[in-house]
Amino acid sequence: MRVSGTQAPDHQDDAALIARIRAGDQSAMAGLYDRYSGVVYGVALRVLASTTAAEDVVQEVFLQLWRNPQAFDADRGRLAPWLAVIARNRAIDHLRKRPQEDDIDELPISTGVDLEDDAARRLAVEKVRGVLAQLPQEQRKALEMAFFEGMTHTEIAGKTGQPLGTVKTRIRSGLLALRKVFA
Amino acid sequence: MNAHPQFAEALAVYAMGALDNPQDRAELEAHLGTCGECRRELEALRADTALLALSAVGPQPPERARQRLLSAIAAEPRMEHRAQKPFVVGRLRSRWLSFAPVAVMLLLAVFSLLLWRDLRNTRRDLRQARQRETQMQQLLDQERERSAHAQEVLDMWNAPNAMRVTLVSSPKARPQPLIKTIYLPEKGHILMVAHDLAPLPTNKVYELWLLPADGSAPMPAGTFRPDSAGNGMMLHPMQNAGISAKGFAVTVESERGSQTPTPPIVMAPAG
Repeated sequence: MRVSGTQAPDHQDDAALIARIRAGDQSAMAGLYDRYSGVVYGVALRVLASTTAAEDVVQEVFLQLWRNPQAFDADRGRLAPWLAVIARNRAIDHLRKRPQEDDIDELPISTGVDLEDDAARRLAVEKVRGVLAQLPQEQRKALEMAFFEGMTHTEIAGKTGQPLGTVKTRIRSGLLALRKVFA
Repeated sequence: MNAHPQFAEALAVYAMGALDNPQDRAELEAHLGTCGECRRELEALRADTALLALSAVGPQPPERARQRLLSAIAAEPRMEHRAQKPFVVGRLRSRWLSFAPVAVMLLLAVFSLLLWRDLRNTRRDLRQARQRETQMQQLLDQERERSAHAQEVLDMWNAPNAMRVTLVSSPKARPQPLIKTIYLPEKGHILMVAHDLAPLPTNKVYELWLLPADGSAPMPAGTFRPDSAGNGMMLHPMQNAGISAKGFAVTVESERGSQTPTPPIVMAPAG
């Protein structure tokens, strides 16, 4: 029975899109692209600072999802954060000129944050930027160097002149500050 | 948030792919192989990094990127989708003259299917091989840990600068329980060997206490249960090195141990 006026949760929509993609439905892939290409492109562009290279990452991530939609397990996490992390990892591979893998990573990611609806995602983006703006500059820099520049904690310590332990602490505290806002 | 605080920071750095010290990484991965709670925390930390990624969301890809993707997808319809199309049977029935090309297509489809299955099996084998390699690495790490543990015991046993304290209980007890402790303050490591201890209820353990030389409160120095003969051994690293001790004592505590000793003291320094 269809109840008028009710809408399936967005998470269901993602799961339904993935199910259709598994069945080979190209229009579902287009729908998924329209919903999340901004996430993948934004992350890749931030890492690579090149629109051409960022477009290549978008192409790779979505094409590989098309080829192997089983890589995403809807029971173990949500699609938006998974795509964001996959996009970042791919972009870092490009940045470091590491060989590209044929398959996308089956990274389990658990989050309760709703990023599927446009409005919810915009709100989340604002919240994240607000948290980052509140962090001490050194802490924010450590997070960004690790995530967007793909630097190891040893490299960050070398570049900032801070002890390794301090770098580790800053990275963890920064991540937990983000988590706290969405708890 | 994390039951194993000694791994908490390494776990966060690892979630970013930024933990580059091979030893730290090997230790953490060995631990992740056995600790579900830390695996769940790793998944949560990855989600935190995804939140961080959101700060970059804003610019949209150009329209040509969409076209490029859709063209690429159209050029490679997926195997499962293609195999479901019923055109082969229909053509065989209605146009028998086209049997040859249809047969070729059928053969190609079957061949493709076999290739796809072969690829899938190869990927599965590769995954299994990686899992086996991980398991072997974990075994190797465990062996290394045991070896390091044995070496540590031997080094402590022979250390000339170690503090050695013998603990005894009431002289009325027969056989007389005895605990020998060897303590290296500069490393903060305590080696303890126990003999003839009284058996304990299943919900109780013995807890060793370090008695600081400055007279401050006793510090927990590890819990243990003796075997059925009353014997046991424990190598315990204190959280901080460099604590000067005047002695050790033993109490009986509930099975999770305690942060403060519960009277009575069942074993105290001899003499």
